[in-house]
Amino acid sequence: MPVSVLIPRINNNDDTVRLSVLMVARGAAVKTGDPLAEVETDKANFSVEAEQDGFVLRVEYEVGATCDVGSVLMWVGGSIDEQIEQIEEAKSATAAAGATVKSLLLLARYGLNQSAVPSSGERLTAEDVEAYVRSRGLQPKGAVTVHAAAPAEPKPEEPGRRESMSPQHRAMAKTVTWQRDHAATGYIEVPFDPAAWEQDAKQFRAKHSLMMDPLLSLMAWKLAQLAVQYPKLNATADGGDLYFFDQVNAGFTVQNGDVLMMPVVRNAGGMTSEAFVSALGKLQRQAMKNALKPSEAAGATIAFTSMARWNVSRHVPLLPPHCAFILAHSSAQLGATYDHRVLTGFDVVQALREMTKPT
Amino acid sequence: MNSKEAHSTGSVLTAVATDPFERDAYGKPIIHPNDPESIYLFGRIIRESEQTLLDLFTKGILSGTTHTCLGQELCQMSVVRGLTDPNDALVSNHRNHGHFLTYSGDAAGLLAEVMGRQSGVCGGVGGSQHLAYRNFHSNGVQGGMTANAVGQALSRRIRGESGVVAIFVGDGTMGEGLLYESLNMASIWKLAVLFVVENNRIAQTTPTATTVGGSIAARGQAFGLKTWRLDDSDPDFLDRADGVVSRIRRDSTPGLLVIDTMRLGPHSKGDDARPDEEMEEIRRRDPLTRLGERLLASRRMDLDAQARDYVQRARATALESPDSAGYLPGRSLFIEPAVPISRAPYFTGGVRASLNNALGDMLRCDPDVILLGEDMHDPYGGAFKVTAGLSSLYPDRVISTPISEAGITGAAIGLALSGWKPVMEIMFADFITLAMDQIYNHAVKFPGMFPHCRVPLVLRTPSGGRRGYGPTHSQCPESLACAVPGLTVVFPSHRHPSGGLLRRAALDWPYPVAFFEHKLLYGLNEDRGGYEEAAPDPADPAAALFPLLRGGGPDPDLTIVAYGYSVHIAEQAAAQLAKEEELSVEILVPSLLSPLPANTFLKALENRERVIVFEEGPGPHGFGAELLAVLAERGFTGRAIRVAAPPIPIPAARSLEQFVLPGVEDILNAAVRLLLS
Repeated sequence: MPVSVLIPRINNNDDTVRLSVLMVARGAAVKTGDPLAEVETDKANFSVEAEQDGFVLRVEYEVGATCDVGSVLMWVGGSIDEQIEQIEEAKSATAAAGATVKSLLLLARYGLNQSAVPSSGERLTAEDVEAYVRSRGLQPKGAVTVHAAAPAEPKPEEPGRRESMSPQHRAMAKTVTWQRDHAATGYIEVPFDPAAWEQDAKQFRAKHSLMMDPLLSLMAWKLAQLAVQYPKLNATADGGDLYFFDQVNAGFTVQNGDVLMMPVVRNAGGMTSEAFVSALGKLQRQAMKNALKPSEAAGATIAFTSMARWNVSRHVPLLPPHCAFILAHSSAQLGATYDHRVLTGFDVVQALREMTKPT
Repeated sequence: MNSKEAHSTGSVLTAVATDPFERDAYGKPIIHPNDPESIYLFGRIIRESEQTLLDLFTKGILSGTTHTCLGQELCQMSVVRGLTDPNDALVSNHRNHGHFLTYSGDAAGLLAEVMGRQSGVCGGVGGSQHLAYRNFHSNGVQGGMTANAVGQALSRRIRGESGVVAIFVGDGTMGEGLLYESLNMASIWKLAVLFVVENNRIAQTTPTATTVGGSIAARGQAFGLKTWRLDDSDPDFLDRADGVVSRIRRDSTPGLLVIDTMRLGPHSKGDDARPDEEMEEIRRRDPLTRLGERLLASRRMDLDAQARDYVQRARATALESPDSAGYLPGRSLFIEPAVPISRAPYFTGGVRASLNNALGDMLRCDPDVILLGEDMHDPYGGAFKVTAGLSSLYPDRVISTPISEAGITGAAIGLALSGWKPVMEIMFADFITLAMDQIYNHAVKFPGMFPHCRVPLVLRTPSGGRRGYGPTHSQCPESLACAVPGLTVVFPSHRHPSGGLLRRAALDWPYPVAFFEHKLLYGLNEDRGGYEEAAPDPADPAAALFPLLRGGGPDPDLTIVAYGYSVHIAEQAAAQLAKEEELSVEILVPSLLSPLPANTFLKALENRERVIVFEEGPGPHGFGAELLAVLAERGFTGRAIRVAAPPIPIPAARSLEQFVLPGVEDILNAAVRLLLS
């Protein structure tokens, strides 16, 4: 397996060094102790030596380069044809899926929906929007706001105190408004005996030595698997079309203080139960710290919510934007709010029955 | 400016025909140590002056506070009387009237100062405790000026000038740490300094028997100082004190003199809880009264009348003066106009080399530049090698000091008072807290408090984290510095010529400057990198010297304000936002953090809709908080958020340090939040 040769630290206070001499090139055979390169700072030089026999597979810097201490100078392998594993590039934290931020700003400027503008590549770009705008001769709508202003609501008339909503609270309100303005909801519930699920969760917990009870996470995982099996559960209505999402993004409601948040486990359909429980746990902790990244707090395609711990007999959740199904877990019922444009009552009952037991 | 001009802070009084005493060529009263009448007369003048002050307080003509030396007049006169070389200097404390009068003979100036009148010796700014006159300075912080005095003595030694520097403290000051740093520095640098402890055995209201352990004199001996103990009630006390001063002058070595004395009055006014019997004993001992009793009664009454008459005339003069007015026009300490930039900024490769070159250039071209700091000497050259090579070239002016942050800072202030341009280094910015009293109560106070006083001091210090040095070696305490009124705070980036900014701070800006150098900047190359200087607004002090840089296209989606090493991180974030999100990002890079160049910023941010202020230090009460508050006050209507560290300790483990210190990803998240919500 290829081994990396790292840029050494010469001085405690120098985080970079200059590569002054390179004694080997790609393909060179080296023996332990052979000098490979020399690096220098303002004050000192240092020779980098091979720590094992082998062949130079790749050199990462050119002579004269300023190199970060601790970064890879070169790779040495046992044979000339060994493969160096690709190190995955750090993903952008922004990752505004489907569209660049600039394109979203332009969409807002022209009052357009993202779905209306065709994308020329993986993501919608500013150029796509500009081309669309040019082709239709559109004019900007004035002030730059990303979200269209809500229809004017009647103002309260009785005297009272005004307090602005927190960003999280606003996000929650936006979700509610989506259901009001777009979805056509229904609600169905079935009776439910939690014993089998509890037994399953107990075994899972013991097997994986978990601190927290994985019951709800396992149920959410199963829901994600169902969404793979029944693609309509993982779809939404768009104009006159049904829109099937490519992957299952499982949303899970978390109460943090006085707001509800929905961290999203992306591509949950392709995960093992262990991976899912771990990923969801991490997101829940981030949510409790108000530290969710934007990409982790939006984009659910199916959702799960539970009020069992408050021992309610029923709760009827609201649908997150572009979700057709949200499972409502209570102590003795499983219910679901669904978008009747996408799903029928029969679809929902089938899914709920599947959900009453772990296998 | 020569050194005499530099440490003259008041006008020299000429002898007044009606003075009941003679003056020397510099206006200092002449008191003959072996002439009881001469001593008695001046002692009476001090007592009359202070009793007049107390009387004015009772009548409501004075307000504020005062601390008298009633009963200690001979003690206060003794050493000051012996400071007969015009280049002698002294620093005093809150109980300073006897020292001041003995040095200046200016009772009218003292009374007017305490009354808050224009003709007061400091125009009414200082009041009773903060006085300056020629080589006399006093301040109200216990022991606070001891290191300043050491710096003044160091100046005399390096320049080969004459002059003893006397430092007056009370026995209550034995609890202050800076005193010991000062004793140590005076000893190792072999300075002509006399520490005088006026041992009245009470600290405000607490008997010092309960607060001072061991022997006071032994403290001097422990530091290798010659040590004396005198009693101000001895008949030949003044003569013996004169002998001590002469000895210091002759040997040019430091000494400690303990004078046993007794305080006849309260600490300030009406705060004396000592029992009647003790007070009776102190009155019986009162050296001034006992001295008068040894004179012919008729002669004594004549001297009493002369003293009374002199002080009454001083009182009348003071009362005639109008109330103090005209203090710091514009309510700004910075009365200097922004100096036109006389020195071309230059980029010289690495930031470390740039600073090192600038220091070398200044030492070569300006004989008043002096460097102080820990471990500066070659071959070590300072912890971060910024001073490497300089001590070999300028051994007298590159001084490795003891590990005494407060002491170094105090000494640098003393050097500045003596006409030097000190550039000192605190090894880690985290340690400026140790020097904070010197910065907060001394360096920035003197220019506003003492007439014609300048403290052209630069305090350089490496700051910042991302090196795994842990909670006390990784911080960015610039917000502490920015909170100090009158402190100029400069923070270069790799887009500024750091050495050029350092030269301007040291040579072109005559006020105390805290100059922060992020540790990770040292390894970076400095170059302008496409940035341009934003036009400095003439109303912003020092904005022309320490420019705000602007980089990016003309119509940005987002503006990031960052300084120091954070600029490097902001640039990475901006590149990623441009590449992945197609955003045009502008970066504003101030080098002057305080006084905030508010008008310059406002112009630069005109028509900007979204602003991120990115800083490595803790966000609460930080630079960003101040900047955004000022922008809000001036009508900025865009949206803005701060990205900064949380107010928690910075862990040593790299993984945890990365968790705490804000990075590229935090900027990216903030950008999306700001633009899309």
